[in-house]
Order: sequence, then C-alpha cells, then structure tokens
Amino acid sequence: MGYNFTNLNVNPCKMCMPMGAVTALYGIKRCMSILHGSQGCSTYIRRHMATHYNEPVDIASSSLSEEGTVFGGADNLLKGLANMIRMYQPEVIGVATTCLAETIGEDVPAIIRRFYMANPDCKVKIIPVSSAGYAGTQYEGFFRSLRAIVEYAEMDETKNNKVNIITGAISPADTRYLKNLLTELGIDYILLPDLSENLDGGHSDVYNRLPDGGTSLAEIAHMAGAQYTIELSTFISDESSPGKYLADTYGVPYVRMDLPTGVRAMDALVAKLVEFGGKIPVKLQKERERYLDAMIDSHKYSALGRAAVFGEPDFVKAVIQLCAENGIVPVVSATGSACKMFHEQIEPDIKAVAAPVFVERYAMVDDADFEMIEKLMVDLKVNVMIGNSDGRRVAQRLSLDLIRCAFPIHDQIGGQRIQMLGYDGSLQLLDRIVNSLLGAREHTFREELYNKYYLGGETGKMETQAVVEMKGEVPVMAEKVISPADKTETHPCFNCSGGQYARIHLPIAPKCNVQCNYCLRKYDCPNESRPGVTTQILNPEEAFAKYKLVKANMPNLKVVGIAGPGDSLANFSQTKQTLSLIKEYDPDVTFCLSTNGLMLPMYAQDLIDLGVSHVTVTMNTISPKIGAQIYQYVNYMGFRYTGEQGATILLANQLAGIKYLTDHGIVCKINIVMLKGINDEEIEAVVQKAKELHCEITNIMQLIPVKGSTFEDMPLVSNKEITAMRKKCEGHMKQMYHCRQCRADAVGTLDNDESINYQMKQETNVIAIKKERQRFAVATKSGMLVDQHFGHAQEFYIYESDGETANFIEKRNVDKYCNGPDVCEDKVDKIESILQTIKDCSAVLALRVGESPSRRLEALGIRIVVTYDRIEEAVKKAANQ
Amino acid sequence: MNEREKILDKYSAKVFKNRKDHVVQFDNAGMPKEIAANSRSIPGLMSNRGCCYAGCKGVVLGPLRDVVVLTHGPIGCGFYSWGTRRNKAKSEDGKSYIQYCFSTDMQEADIVFGGEKKLRQAIEEAMELFNPSCIMICSTCPVGLIGDDINAVATWAEEKFNIKCVAYSCEGYKGVSQSAGHHIANNGLMKSIIGTGDAPLTKKYSVNILGEYNIGGDGWETERLLEKIGYEVVSIFTGDGSYEAIKNAHTANLNLVQCHRSINYIAEMMKTKYGIDWFKVNFIGIDETIRSLREIAAYFNDPTLIANTEKVIAEELEEVAEAREYYKEKLHGKTAAVFVGGSRSHHYQMLLADFGMKTIIAGYEFAHRDDYEGLEVRPNVKVDADSRNIEELTITPDDKYYHLSIDKERFDALKLTTELEYYKGMFKDMGDGTIAIDDFNHYETEKLLELFHPNIFYSGIKDKYMIQKSGTPSRQMHSYDYSGPYAGFKGAIKFASDTYMSLFTPAWQYITPPWRMQPTLEGKVGGAD
Repeated sequence: MGYNFTNLNVNPCKMCMPMGAVTALYGIKRCMSILHGSQGCSTYIRRHMATHYNEPVDIASSSLSEEGTVFGGADNLLKGLANMIRMYQPEVIGVATTCLAETIGEDVPAIIRRFYMANPDCKVKIIPVSSAGYAGTQYEGFFRSLRAIVEYAEMDETKNNKVNIITGAISPADTRYLKNLLTELGIDYILLPDLSENLDGGHSDVYNRLPDGGTSLAEIAHMAGAQYTIELSTFISDESSPGKYLADTYGVPYVRMDLPTGVRAMDALVAKLVEFGGKIPVKLQKERERYLDAMIDSHKYSALGRAAVFGEPDFVKAVIQLCAENGIVPVVSATGSACKMFHEQIEPDIKAVAAPVFVERYAMVDDADFEMIEKLMVDLKVNVMIGNSDGRRVAQRLSLDLIRCAFPIHDQIGGQRIQMLGYDGSLQLLDRIVNSLLGAREHTFREELYNKYYLGGETGKMETQAVVEMKGEVPVMAEKVISPADKTETHPCFNCSGGQYARIHLPIAPKCNVQCNYCLRKYDCPNESRPGVTTQILNPEEAFAKYKLVKANMPNLKVVGIAGPGDSLANFSQTKQTLSLIKEYDPDVTFCLSTNGLMLPMYAQDLIDLGVSHVTVTMNTISPKIGAQIYQYVNYMGFRYTGEQGATILLANQLAGIKYLTDHGIVCKINIVMLKGINDEEIEAVVQKAKELHCEITNIMQLIPVKGSTFEDMPLVSNKEITAMRKKCEGHMKQMYHCRQCRADAVGTLDNDESINYQMKQETNVIAIKKERQRFAVATKSGMLVDQHFGHAQEFYIYESDGETANFIEKRNVDKYCNGPDVCEDKVDKIESILQTIKDCSAVLALRVGESPSRRLEALGIRIVVTYDRIEEAVKKAANQ
Repeated sequence: MNEREKILDKYSAKVFKNRKDHVVQFDNAGMPKEIAANSRSIPGLMSNRGCCYAGCKGVVLGPLRDVVVLTHGPIGCGFYSWGTRRNKAKSEDGKSYIQYCFSTDMQEADIVFGGEKKLRQAIEEAMELFNPSCIMICSTCPVGLIGDDINAVATWAEEKFNIKCVAYSCEGYKGVSQSAGHHIANNGLMKSIIGTGDAPLTKKYSVNILGEYNIGGDGWETERLLEKIGYEVVSIFTGDGSYEAIKNAHTANLNLVQCHRSINYIAEMMKTKYGIDWFKVNFIGIDETIRSLREIAAYFNDPTLIANTEKVIAEELEEVAEAREYYKEKLHGKTAAVFVGGSRSHHYQMLLADFGMKTIIAGYEFAHRDDYEGLEVRPNVKVDADSRNIEELTITPDDKYYHLSIDKERFDALKLTTELEYYKGMFKDMGDGTIAIDDFNHYETEKLLELFHPNIFYSGIKDKYMIQKSGTPSRQMHSYDYSGPYAGFKGAIKFASDTYMSLFTPAWQYITPPWRMQPTLEGKVGGAD
C-alpha cells in the first residue's frame, strides 16, 4: 500500500477481530472459546497464539462446511457446545463469530437460547461475541469480547469498594506487574481480563487443560457495584467500551487512561489510584527513582534515536510517550487499525520531542501496512524499530534492530514475558532501545568522527520547514539540503532499486585522451546503444536547453551525467560550463560524471566545487603490463605515451584521483570491462583495490565488440560468466547487476531510453496549411507522446494549433482518485468530470478511447483522434484534418 | 479395555459412534484394518485440521516464489498464512514474493456491496508495485457467499496486463479439511499452468518432484541428489517452485510423488493427459531414499544411470555412516508418536526405523482412506457430498504433448516389483499393538500421552505445548522448529541429531512426567503386612 495504494494490503500490520476476541476470553477463569465458522479460523489463530505465548492454546470450532452455509450453522454450534461441555466442563464459553457466520447472518444469541432450552440443567455461561473478521482488527475484537462479557454476565449491583481495571491486550508479565502494583497500593480491584496465568503458565506435575487462572464470573459480577472504572485504552470506541457500558447501565463512573508506560502515564495512573485510597509503598517510589535515574543515564544516547513504532493504537501511543520523554524521536508511527483519533492523540508528543532537535519531518499513519511503513522508514531515516515481530522482514532489509514488543512475537521465545508497563517495564523497554542505539553507535562512531572532523567531509545542515500533505493522512515535512548519500537513493545507476528515477546523459564531450582498444566513438547511429555512441554533440548552451526541456517533461529526472562520448575531463571547459549552467537553474540536481581518470588529479577539486556527487572511473586493470594491452595510447600533457609507460601514467592518476574524491565524500563507482584472456584473472584484484579506495560499488561489464575497433574479434563474455565474476567479487564490495551500458546521450529511466524523442531537430519538412486556431486536449503520461488511455488520464495537456505550429497552453487535472463511495460510486462521475475538464476543446487526442466515452464525446461535438505520436506532431496533424 | 476403548470411553454415544471408526488399533492377528477418513470433523473437539483455503493457498500455492498469491478476503486469512510453513525459496532472479503477504483486506462495505471492484484495483496496484508475470487469486469464506466472480476478474487481468492470472475458489468452508484445497489447487495448476511452456530439456532423463514443499530445505536436498545422479529436475511442486518452471512440467519423463495426499491428483491427471508415469517415492529415511533412487533408475533402465545411482548411494552412505551408527546407538528402542498431515506420518515412520525407533502411534489430520490403506481401497471409498462438491476435471490425452517413456510391457513388469503408480499406504508398515487415529483431536492426543507415554511426539505447533506440559519432548513436523533438511541421507542425520537433542536435553531431568509418579505395580514390600 504505497501512498496511493488503498486496495492492496502488502504485508499487513494487523490481524482480524476473532483473534482479539478469543485472546480476551483467555483472561476469564475456566473459560473456553469456540469460533463459529470454518475450522481454519480456529486452527490459524491457535497456531499464531501458541507461537507467541509458548503455551497450549485451545480454541474449538463449529467446523462449518458447505452444507452449513446453505442451511445455517446452528446444528454445528449446538453440537460443538455440547461436546465442549462434556469433554472439558468449562464454566464459561465464549462464542465468537467469524466472517463466515456473519456473512450468512447467524443469530448466535438465538442459537445459545436454543441450547439452554434443550439443556435446562446447563450451568455454563455462554457468551456471544460478534466479531466478523472484516469489521475490524484484533484490537477491536479484544474489546468487543470484554464488552460482551460485562453485558452478558450476571451482575450484582450492590455497591462495593472495588475499582474496575480494564485493559487491552497486554502481556501476561505486564498483567502480573499490574496486579502486583494494585495489591501493593492496597487497592481492592477487579481486573478484566487477566491473562497472566492462562497464557504464561508454569510447568507443573499435572497439566491442567482448562484455564484455571483469570478473572472469574463471580468477580466480574461485582463490576456493576464498583466505585470506579479505569479503562487503560484511549482509542476504543464507545460501543466497544466495557467502561462506558458499566457507566451507562450501572452508573459506575469511569475514566480512560493511557497504558502506564513512561513516567507521566505511570504517575497519572498512580495518582488516580491514590484517589481511591491507594498508598504509595516505598518500593514503588524506589522503582520510580530508578527509572528516572536510567533516563538520565541514557539521555545522551536516547537523543540519537529516530524510531518507527507500530502496532495497536494504545501500544503505539504508550511507546511514543516513553520515546518522547526520553528524547527519542518517533519519526514513523503506524497502526494497522483504521483509527480516527490516532494523529490527534500522538502528535503533540512527537512534535514536542522533534522540534528542539531540528527534526521537522515525521509521519503518522493509521490503516498502514508494512509496505508503507518501510517506505516511510527509508524516507525518514529511522534507526530503530519498536513493535511486534512482523516488522522483522523490514528490519532485516534495512539492517535495523527491531525491539520486539506486543503481539505477535513469532521469531523469538518469551513474547509473553516482555514488559513495558510501570516504571519497571518502562525501564526495561528504554534499556533495550538505548542498547540498540548504542550498539549501532559503537560500530560506527570512530569512522564517522574521523570522516567528519579529520577529513572535513560533511558540512553542516540547515533544515527548513515546509509541509507536504500526503493524501491528507501522512503529514511528512520536506527537507532541503541533500547529501551525496541521499542522492544515491535517487540515482538509477548507483542504487539498484532506483529504477524509477530518470537520468540524462549530455553528449558534450567529444574528445578523448586515451584510446582504448575496445572503443570506437561514433556520433550518428540512433539505433545502437552502447557507451561512446551519440547522435549529435551539443555545446553547453544546447545541452542546458535540452536539460530544461527534458526536465519539464520528466519530473522523475534526478541525475545529469556527462558520459562522453569522449572523456568528460578531456573536455573540461565544456563540462564545467554545462554543469554551472544547470546548477544555477536547478541546485538540487545530482551531477554524475564518468571518466577514464587520466585528468582526475587535476580536476577533482573543481568537480567537488561544481557539486558533482557521483563519479564513475573506468579502471580495467591495476597492472601496467595488462594496461599496455588494453590502451593503444595515452595523451597526457601534450605528449603521446604508449605501452606500459602510458598505462602507468593512467593508473597512477586514476588511483590518486579516486582517493582524493572518496576522501572528500564523493561517491565513486569503478567500471571494469571484462576482457577475456587479458584482465579477467585480475578483476578481483581491481575490485579489492576499489574497496581500499573506499569506492561505493564496482560495475563489471561485458565487452561489446565493436566493428572497426582493435578488439572487434575478441571472444564474447557470456551473461553467465559476467554474473559469476560479479558474484565472486561481491565478497569484496557491492556489485552493480543492473548496468545497461548506456549511450552518451541516453535520456530516461534505465529501462526506457527516450533519447530518440529528444534529439534536436535540424528542420521540419512538414508543409502545413494555415488553418484557424483550434484547441486540443491531449491524454499523455510522458508529456511527450500521446500515450494515455482516455479513461485513465489524470490530466490533460491543452494545446492550440493552427496546423503550422502547436502551442502548449496548460495542464488540466482531472480528479483521478475518487473520494470515497459517496462521491464516486461508479465510473460515470469520472467520465463526467473529464468531460467538464475539456469541454472547450474541439478534439481529444488519446491512445485509446472507450466506447461509451466516445459516444458522449461525440454528443458534445468533440472530435476523437486515436493516435500514438509525438504531441506536437499529432496536434498539428489533427489541426490539418 | 484396550487403549483404543479407553480413548473412546469418555465420548457421548453420538460422538463415540462417529469417532470409533477413526481410531484403529493393530492386533496380533495382523488383519488389514479399515479406517474412516476424510469426513467432517466433530464440532467442539478441537481438531487440528485447517480449512480449504489453508490447503490451497497455504500449502500448494504459497511456496511458488514468482507468483503474487493474492488473498481475496478480509485480512485475517492472508495474515495467518503469511510465511508460516517456513518453506524456503531462493530468489536469484530477484523475483521472490515468498516473504510477502498480499490481501485485498475486505471491509464491511465490500461484503455488502461486493468485492470485485476492490479485487481489480488490488491487481492493478500489484502490477504497478511488483509487475509479476503470474497472479493467483485465492478466495476466503465470504467471497463465495457474496458471489464475487473471481474468474471474470482473472480473465480481465490476463487481457489487460498480458500475464497469467488464475482464480481459485478455495473458500474455507469447502470440503472437510485442507485436503479439499489441495484438490482445488491441483485442478487450477493443471487447467491453467502445466503445459503452457515449451522450454527444451537439457538432459536425457528428466523428472518432476511432486508434493515436496521444501520445508527446511527438503526439496533442495532431494534435488541435489537427483542432479548428482544425472537427472534434470524440470519442476518442483511447489517448494521453491515457480510458475516459470511448472508451465514446462509436461515435458518431463517421469513424475516423482513425495506427498501423495496433496498432489496425487496432478500425478494422475498428467498421466492421462501427457502419458507421464509416476512413482510414489519417499526421500524421508535412508533406506527409503535408497529404494526410491533405485526404482527411478530401474524405470529408465540405463546402465550408466544405474551405475551412477549406486555410486551416489555409496558416496552418500559413506559420508553419513559414522553419524548413523552413533545416533542409532542412542535412539535405538525409543518410542515415537507421529501426527502430521496426510503423508508425513508414514514417511517419518520409515526414517525412525532407520535409527531403530519404534512408532507406536500414528495419525493424520486430513488423509483419505487410500493414504492409510493403500490405493487398492479406492474403489471401495464412498464419495460423500463434501467431496462431490470439489470439481473433478475430465482429462483427455493431449494431441501435442502425449508421450510414453516406456512401453506397456515394461510398465507392467515394473509395476509388479516397484511402487510405480502405486501407493501402499501407511497401515502396511505399522506393527502390532500400535494405534492409528484419523483427524486426531486435542482430547485424544492427551489421552494417548497418558496411555502410551511415547518417548517423543512428532506433531505441530497446536499440540506442541500441551505435549511438552505433559513431560514429553515434541518436535514440529510442519516447520521443523527452524531446522532441516530432513530429506535424503544427510537430512536423516540432521533429523536424528535433532531428535537426540530433544530427548536428552538436561532440562528434562528436572521434569517429572505424571506417569512416573503413578505406581505401575501393586504389591507388598517384603516383610511388611
């Protein structure tokens, strides 16, 4: 689910309602649960709970089959109840529904009434819980069960002195902590639910199959007469809130409070309990002091934290509070539940901790999946993750620590014993987070300090605030200054996953100072694609003009490269002028340059000053002997050197130049052309050298034998051989697997060269008859071609033409994404809005137009031109028709 | 009362009537036993069975690494079947979706107004994000009920994106267990994927491995052995399998069936359509691996191949000889219970026998009668309504690809001496006094532990902790507890060493199982009155 993906959930950050419903039922004494539906639901949920809690989890199923979907599932449920009671003698049975039961419309309360009628002696309390899998997540399911329990339990309204404590899904260890706390404060309490024993039992001589711990119905009966209810959840809706029900039905006053994680939330809970007669024991005071002391001990390291927190809303809020009071910035906060109050409840804390440390960008998302969380984490440079073990795949991909918390923990043992509540739990959680940050620090700080202060590579950053709203639900703030490493992320050649970004190679450098035996520079073959080829040479002004043109049409253009066709540094004045022009126009662009490295020592500092962040050096060998076989001659400082002499000069300059660049934080890539029988034995050594020089990546390439070059008859290197070589070298450093060996005038993404569309036209030989000026609406994806289906167009380019010239007037947006079922029930509205957008045009140019829109366009008198052509050409042709 | 009667004793009359035919104890008479299987589970008794969706998406389709398997339904089913079987897959070509979970995450409104539109949009998004060459749609319970036409969506996706898109109506309520899902998955693969490719073979003798899901790397170990001998493995169904490989499956000479229960449909349909013979092989267990390898070589009857097979067997045996002796000495005489799947409980008995261990209890979650009693029982199996609801494809020979590898005479001769197109079932390998249970449930498992107290219990995660609470070591045979491979020669040693670890961990010394405290003999201490 990227920002715009709302129908596909990729790697969910949530589970379904029945999961929560049965978990809550595990907190009731001598209670069993049965899921009314097909048996997979119960099997899957047992599997997931058992893995987390490392305990037996027994959930029955009514095992509905196809017949049940036709005739109803009452018989199965009745049988199921009878069998459970006979075999296990429970005191309570919770019947939770599933997607299946809810979809076929089972009336579970009625079935339960039937059961009691057929079994009048039955003393078992049977409680129905409506928990359709599609109606919410495990978070809501948990509270629905609790609500059903208080609704169905026999209540005793006699006033008592008890305090009801209602919690969401907290760990058994945290539950034990909470119970202990209440006891030590001297509070007479009823805890709903109590998972502490049933889902974290010990090993005794006899295994007891019926959950013997938990809150009994007898205790629950007194909830109606309690003096107060504290509900440790601030997100749950009124309809699912047991506290609200007790207040409305029995007049028990209640308050909703945060989970007591962090000193503020815990203080608040303790203060509340003191109101009801609680006495703070010395032990608790000491516990609090210890947590405060730990906060101080850790504060220097805490401040390094940029956390991603994900899970159920109450959990996320609790962890954010802990982070906030410790100076850890939760830059990504996410919950899988659709939760309206999520942003408003968590943002104040995030804002307060972020601003003083100049963190202007953070994201809060509800209804999130891990696909989205991962994107945000990369974007916002998270350095620690806090949440359940479903985040492990993201953590692994991004090489981050995952502080495992909450449910489920499937890849480690002891999920049921993780603590985060109270001063003690907060301390444990804080220690784990800080130790992760320290661990990362310990490995990197020497190198960072050395680079920053000794080499002076990094420069200070200024961040300015600008708010970018993403679909109204992901407020992410924009950042201004970007480092070379950041630029790598959007560089299609240096980053294997940067394929969506485009680059332009400006062919401004015709001359070369080294003759490689594999190279033949040709200037005019539009169909051939390899390094050294371009259709025309541009001067710096033309190159600048071309850049502006392409940038206007290709918003994903991130990189300007100089890749010949000769050597960029052999034509340094052109290179410098071109880059200066573009830099002035667009200071954020990434400059990238490739060179043979001969002139690198001379121009390295100039390149840095020009803002070049990425340099590719072709270094085929580190042995002059081998170099002598590869290079015919080297022109250096006015002399032509051949043989080993030339190769030695080239090599020395390459090494010195690369070192200078990497020392100054420039990202360097080494290109190596694999030449069978010449350098193939030595490539590994070249790669090792590149590593020594702190290069980022090496790119081992196949030789493209070019007719007319010295190596034209050289044996080909197969894909398999090249991959084997790359694999072999991968042990030393990162390898480029996605090189396309581009042209010197390539334009576009690596997979889609559009250079043909951007060759400067010498003249056009279209003889046009001047016509009246007309308006045209063009459906285009690329901005260059008529290449969009009419119905899919998000925007139209409006052109005017008299048949001779075609002028771009403006872009018009069509609201592509509907705003919910109310306004966008079907496509009719969308076509209507498209028609509104273009009704003043005399024709529409599109790749294709559907049947019904065609009719409607014709009805409006708008002509349809179905074509695939360059926009200008197509518009002129249309004007002439 | 014998043990069987004790197990059934507590049931109500109705339940007893049903369960008595699912519990079989072998007596000294050694008579062939009948068992009731593949019928509905009893509500409320906590069966270990999963659902149709689990069999289709979770078992058969899930391991296909280059397919976006999209769960059409509310979020739970997709989530719960996400990476749970720990089947492994390589991703050399960068296209592996095995770590992903895709779901349409249907909401209440989709249930009310239909989810087709959402499904289409989800496919568009999947194309934009991942651009797969194959998408498979698996539906969950509500989809069948609200009547979303997932086949129409699949056709639309194929036309729009020029990809392969197959829809599986594997709603959880279909059939009586995972088994229905296997059948539905088999049908879909047969109808839409197998036979659509035409990659040329590279070696003279080629095979498909059917019903190998690469749990803990079993598939890789099996493939390694076969390739070492000189076979080309065209495709594996479906562990570390791929759409790209499976579409060429029809070009192979022979099908090797590992898990009979989940994949026999494809083996039989491919025989009818393409003339490809199949063998029931078993690469779990050293002796069984040797038998399987020899039978395959005998099938092709090429002296070089037979020599290679013997050479590989000798090499592999030599490598494990020392370890095998060591573990045999340690494990000899230990008793085991094996409760898994629909084929594994048989396979693992053979492996346990390699080390002198005795299987005293065995059971299946979702097997059919032929898995217990052998293929010969098929004509006697009554087809009930639940099975009838699962489509049986009508298959006819393919004009273009039908090819026989050996002539009828040799086929008939081989059939007499090998497991060529025959599965003998589990019962024939079970000894006197042992017990077999179909669709075992929570209560019965507990009772078995009490009555038999096996030294180790091989089962799954759902009963693992209950077994351990009762003082018995357990190992998960669905996911191998992060371990594996257990297939082939080296795998057998890995299994033995894991079993050894489980049995002899010092922790057990501090635990007293309940039966150790019960007196087994009653009598008077000498001298006392």
